[in-house]
Amino acid sequence: MANPEANRTEHSRITHRLPINVDLLAVGIGLALAALIRFGIIHQISF
Amino acid sequence: MRESHPSALARHGFEDTRTMSTQTIPMPIAAEAQLKPTSLAATLPGIALLFAIGLLAKLLEHVGVVLRTQYRLSFPQIEYVLWAILLGLVVSNTLGVAAVFRPGVATYELWLKLGIVLVGARFVLQDVLHIGGLSLLLVAVELVLSLTVMTLLGRIFRLPPKLTSLLAIGSSICGVTAIMAAQGAIDPDEEDTTTAIAAILTLGAIALVTFPAIGHLLRMSQQAYGMWAGLAVDNTAESIVTGSLFGQDAGRWTILAKTARSSFIGFVVLGYAVYWASRGQAAVVEHKALFLWQKFPKFILGFLAISVLATAGFFTKGQLGSLSSLSQWAFLPAFAGVGLRTNLKDLVGQGWRPLAVGVLGEIFIAIITLGLVFWSYNHGVTR
Repeated sequence: MANPEANRTEHSRITHRLPINVDLLAVGIGLALAALIRFGIIHQISF
Repeated sequence: MRESHPSALARHGFEDTRTMSTQTIPMPIAAEAQLKPTSLAATLPGIALLFAIGLLAKLLEHVGVVLRTQYRLSFPQIEYVLWAILLGLVVSNTLGVAAVFRPGVATYELWLKLGIVLVGARFVLQDVLHIGGLSLLLVAVELVLSLTVMTLLGRIFRLPPKLTSLLAIGSSICGVTAIMAAQGAIDPDEEDTTTAIAAILTLGAIALVTFPAIGHLLRMSQQAYGMWAGLAVDNTAESIVTGSLFGQDAGRWTILAKTARSSFIGFVVLGYAVYWASRGQAAVVEHKALFLWQKFPKFILGFLAISVLATAGFFTKGQLGSLSSLSQWAFLPAFAGVGLRTNLKDLVGQGWRPLAVGVLGEIFIAIITLGLVFWSYNHGVTR
């Protein structure tokens, strides 16, 4: 049976996508930051 | 030394899944893979590059303000959003993005989605339900018309049928994300996927320049323009940038319209998967509910959760301001990432027919959505 890796291009071997679910990570970080702000651990942030 | 050019597919941060069996619908790559500490470390240089460009963009905006107000110099009024994209474009198209930076540059997607989740603090639930509901209605109309027109144009220009499907999916919903969701489901040729992504990115780059100009020409309100950008510009990142270039408030409304549009992704991809499976050219989808859940953009749930908490009075006014500022900090590297992953040589090097179909289809979609927004505006459903 052919090795599927052999068919992959050089570029597809060296390029990356985050090895985690980006959507859920964004939700997790977002809610964690919201909690830190709500409970006063992170104070006023300006942009 | 300049790096060799990866394909549009690869540069966007996606691995090629085509080596998987064509008899199964592959799971999203992200859900399959394990979190590795080495992978996290590999993202650091690229993340640093994203923030460095973003901070430089902020600095240049500030320098512009100082030169205009304190030294009375005629320095152009350019906001950090545009500076970030321009700086990213210059780096990407002159020096190139070295391999060491690519894993981190791919995290622009995470920063973008984090920004969307946090910006939920600036929407009370009534706004989300009212404008989001209106957006859903407008999106439904836009979807039917754009899918039909893109399919017709694909036939007129004799594009390969699966390339036509990819262009229709990408232009009607959320660009590259939708194309990547579809490529696992309808099993197109790699060349078709790459061509469709290049066409969608080209059209996004064109929108960055044309939409704000049209918005100013038509003297659109922040809300009307923001909704238009959210409904008409395909790729989520380009859409939000296009909205933000018109104004911060417009960017906020763009996010709302865009998330409403993105929520349709599962249904449209499922429809195409079923169609191609019925023709024996794609795998059969056995668990349709699971398929819809897998394709649903979960960050929308985070956006809604923060909005619900904000509406329920969970945060003080100052805390809401902090959350809003945090969302802007998250968008900063995302905007830099849009510039960094845009390679002008690739955009002009694609075949003319897919681009012609894309351009004609996008002009149609832009006109239709502009008409829909003006209609809703004139009937008092938007402010």
